[in-house]
Amino acid sequence: MFKLMRFLKPYWWQVIILIIATGGQVYATLQLPALMADIINNGIVAGDIPQIWQDGGRMLLLAVVSAAASFVASYFSAKIGAYFSRDLRAAVFQKVLNFNLIDLKTFSTASLITRTTNDVNQVQTVITIILSLLLRAPLFCIFGLIMAIQTAPEMSWIIVVGITAVVISVAVIMSLVGPKFKIFQKLVDRVTLITRENLTGLKVVRAFNNEQVEKKKFIKTNGELTKLLIFVDRILELQNPLINIIFNGLTLLCSWVGISLLTQDFSYLGNMTAFAEYVTYVMMSFLMLSIFFIMIPRANVSAGRINEILKTKEKIHWLSKTKGIPNKQALVEFKKVSFSYPDASEKVLDNISFVARAGETTAFIGSTGSGKSTLINLVPRFYEATSGEVTVNGINVRDYEKDDLMKRIGLVPQRGLLFSGTVAANIKFGAPNAAEEQVKKAAEIAQADGFIRKLSGGYSAHIAQGGTNVSGGQKQRLSIARAICKNPDIFIFDDSFSALDMKTDARLRAALKPITKDAVVLIVAQRISTIKDAEQIIVLDKGKMVGKGTHRELMSGCDVYRSIVKSQLSEEEWRKETHGARA
Amino acid sequence: MGPGHSYKGADGRIKNTKRAAKEFLHSVRPYRWPIIASVILSVGSAVVGLFVPKLLGDMTNIAVASFPELDWGAISGKAITVLILFLTSAALQYAQAFVLAVVSANYTKDLREKIISKIMKLPISYFDRHKFGDTLSRMTNDVDVLTTSMSQEIADVSLSLTVLIGVMIMMLTISVPLSLVAFIVVPLSVVVVGRITAFAQKYFREQQATLGALNSKIEEDYAGQVVIKSNSYEGAATASFDETNAKLAKAATRAQIFSSLSFPVTHVFTNLGYIAICILGGVFVVEGHMTIGSIQAFIQYVSRFNRPITEIASTTATIQALLAASERVFEFLSESEEEPDAEPALVIPRVKGEVEFHNVNFGYDEKTPVIKDFSVKVQPGMKVAIVGPTGAGKTTIINLLMRFYEPTSGYITIDGAPIREMKRADVRQMFGMVLQDTWLFSGSIEENLRYGRQGATLAELKTAAKSSNVEHVIEALPHGYKTVISEDSDNISAGEKQLITIARAMTANPPMMILDEATSNVDTRTEQLIQDSLEKLTGGRTSFVIAHRLSTIRNSDLILVMRDGQIVESGKHKDLLAADGFYAELYNSQFAEN
Repeated sequence: MFKLMRFLKPYWWQVIILIIATGGQVYATLQLPALMADIINNGIVAGDIPQIWQDGGRMLLLAVVSAAASFVASYFSAKIGAYFSRDLRAAVFQKVLNFNLIDLKTFSTASLITRTTNDVNQVQTVITIILSLLLRAPLFCIFGLIMAIQTAPEMSWIIVVGITAVVISVAVIMSLVGPKFKIFQKLVDRVTLITRENLTGLKVVRAFNNEQVEKKKFIKTNGELTKLLIFVDRILELQNPLINIIFNGLTLLCSWVGISLLTQDFSYLGNMTAFAEYVTYVMMSFLMLSIFFIMIPRANVSAGRINEILKTKEKIHWLSKTKGIPNKQALVEFKKVSFSYPDASEKVLDNISFVARAGETTAFIGSTGSGKSTLINLVPRFYEATSGEVTVNGINVRDYEKDDLMKRIGLVPQRGLLFSGTVAANIKFGAPNAAEEQVKKAAEIAQADGFIRKLSGGYSAHIAQGGTNVSGGQKQRLSIARAICKNPDIFIFDDSFSALDMKTDARLRAALKPITKDAVVLIVAQRISTIKDAEQIIVLDKGKMVGKGTHRELMSGCDVYRSIVKSQLSEEEWRKETHGARA
Repeated sequence: MGPGHSYKGADGRIKNTKRAAKEFLHSVRPYRWPIIASVILSVGSAVVGLFVPKLLGDMTNIAVASFPELDWGAISGKAITVLILFLTSAALQYAQAFVLAVVSANYTKDLREKIISKIMKLPISYFDRHKFGDTLSRMTNDVDVLTTSMSQEIADVSLSLTVLIGVMIMMLTISVPLSLVAFIVVPLSVVVVGRITAFAQKYFREQQATLGALNSKIEEDYAGQVVIKSNSYEGAATASFDETNAKLAKAATRAQIFSSLSFPVTHVFTNLGYIAICILGGVFVVEGHMTIGSIQAFIQYVSRFNRPITEIASTTATIQALLAASERVFEFLSESEEEPDAEPALVIPRVKGEVEFHNVNFGYDEKTPVIKDFSVKVQPGMKVAIVGPTGAGKTTIINLLMRFYEPTSGYITIDGAPIREMKRADVRQMFGMVLQDTWLFSGSIEENLRYGRQGATLAELKTAAKSSNVEHVIEALPHGYKTVISEDSDNISAGEKQLITIARAMTANPPMMILDEATSNVDTRTEQLIQDSLEKLTGGRTSFVIAHRLSTIRNSDLILVMRDGQIVESGKHKDLLAADGFYAELYNSQFAEN
């Protein structure tokens, strides 16, 4: 939590004003009981009415000062809190935007989202409370103590008694309840989990007639939760009565001791009342501080999760200017490229070499975990090759300026990722200056023009967040259009055709042919039909390249490839295929 | 409960306040006795506590009156009374809180159980119209709001009212003019604070809305990282983020300023009242209308006067939240359930597996029919494949067969008996289901396999795992069958999850099988394993298979080709190809390139 305090730095002068204002407010407030004691001692007891009015006037003045200071404090605490979290959120967002795929994988997108939203909100809440309420507590505590001791030094031991009692009672309750909170949270999570599973698995639960099993499971956890809740409450509810006893006890003690001191000094008549009020202020502040100690650990969890993001070192550094001049001709080359995750001994890619030329399609096939997706992610430098070289248009990807490399690449990811906004904006995503015709042409090639026209609003139709208002296949076609519209040197299709039905798949690839005649096309695919005609097919198995060549060549020379093909074709077709290969 | 915590309906408004209140009151009826007891205890505690300042004042008065001798006998008498009073008050307070804690815990428990039972009984179609998140939030957030605000309200309102009335009486008995001053100044602060809070609410709503917008932006950008990077969109994304983020900071500042203003404002009024009473009281004492002890007591009463008013004022907001939550919870609980099973239900002692659709019509909503006049007869042991483009109604056929939905007209029979006249559980028991969505619940693999049949022994589970080609995968895991899988666990792959769902269906060992697009999204090798185990699973059983890849269904006994809710062709693979119709078109687009 304290590490994040550096985000307060730009607002340091506002923080100082806040502290001064809060101090002023506390100081002025604490003068009131002293003045009241003066009214009792020098006004009432002496029967001096003008003195009473004079003291009263001073009290009024102090009340006004206190109010003014308090307004200033409110304003600045609100402002600092809001801008602190604005900066924090922006820092986290910026950091995540610069993450490479390894970082994204280790954190997981879902967790990054919660960290940037929920966790920052948590911290914001705590910071606001600290600034508005808890700043006051220690000040009240210190000033209150000083005033109390000044007013009635002989009674100061009462404060020690009071503080001890508050601290002990809070500590005892917290030590009894604290450890249960974790279990409590776990049970709450479990209740939510079971509910959610019952919703997402609705059909499976019913298909297997397990409604009663699920219900029993729920009732069991719910019962445990209730039991624990009652146990915790039984202790927690002790707090208020205990605090009441302490406060009342202290007031009684003040009166008792004050009265007994009257014989020494009659001014204790006023002083004991003032003293009792100071004691109350001090005790209240102590209670506030104890809330602080309950809140801090919770905020600490959030702050720790945010810090984990902020302190992650950037693993990929981009040059500010591309070293050398890339060729005009599109070309991707892998030279003895290996890749493994940091701290992992196993190689995801092992010594891969190939050349992908303009006007040709290079396809990658292999089972899950064979490294196909990792391989193509090395081209836009989402991952960094552990050894070997990846070059684009003759220049090592490490020697590129980031945008200079990216403008050459049209990537279509596995899932059709869209952004909220119009259809046109989504297609123009990588080419913001694209003309209307270019957008339309890209959509036509991607076989998307037809359904876009049917949307209400056509190209200006709104895409909802995450593209939930279009189907999976439509999303995929739009994201293909997005890549086409960019007119890149290198097309990368990461298993992008599997969401399409076979017919659209075929049509789309036919339409792509003419516009990719000067481009390198890299395709990762599952279906043999998608890649059969590729000029070069690279077969991967557990990170190793086990075959390279055309369909025909691989059919005769590569066992892994043959087994993949066999699994997808009927016997008859298989016979035809193998016959064709031999011929 | 801050404004950010209470989740209300889509717009936070209550549709029918009266009904919500009525349903809520009805739901707490079983707890009325403990609730009444807790109210009585709380009133008792407040009343007892009220006398403390007065008695402390008396102590001072006795001391001043008897000065310089100090009548210790009388003083300690009062002191002991004070001690007894506040101890009693605290004891009553604890008793009250305890009773209420038990009530609210049990109330929450019952409510949650009612909701989960409801989820089990609602027709599947309910969930077509309502998002899971919505139901989940009724179970969690709304129930929370309901119970916390309930216990808070019961304790606070009764306590506040008692204190308020009690304090007023005590003050009046001490001094009528001072009371009048207090009665004017203190409530004024409550009114002003109320106005400010109303303002703050407006800004809080604005803040929440902006926060929501920002959160969805973050979600979208994080999920779309790859696209943003490869299109050099970082700058634009950051600019748009910064804009919303700045808007949020502005809204948050405003909301926070207004809500934190209530503190200084209350403080000003309290101070003003305090000062007025000090001055006036001082003058009164000097003039002989009052005693010093009374002023001391009076000041204490004034400080107790403030809180109950503020609390009663905030009650409206809490009650609003309570009613909104109550409406959402009870609305859910009163949704109409699946129609009950037929009584007496038909029972098929030994299922042969003959399935027939008789002129079935169906639509998820009335306007758009999905299945039109669908009829087909499936002989026992047949392997039936259903193919067709997306939206042709393939999955719907399965939904009707499993009785997740009921046909709008026409009927389905198994071995000649209409399934509508059987128990749903009995119908579903006849089918083993492997869905495209590989749903497994978080728990051990063993528990997940046993999901197919609760009584299955470990040996039976292992046999099922073996014939599903997943045994070696499970045994390679560090904890074997005890390995816990969770939603986002990556200790097993998507394909392996698929195999486990097959093993699960295998454990159930049903007379018929349903496979819904079970083979997409898996790499080729795992698919071979899956295909192999599916062969075993469907062997000798009537089975229905939906697959996108036509290669997997070529050896089916019957292929139903669907288009727009109707069977346009049916027959064997060879015959359909020979007929050169829609099926041939679909098939050729997959295999014969160019």
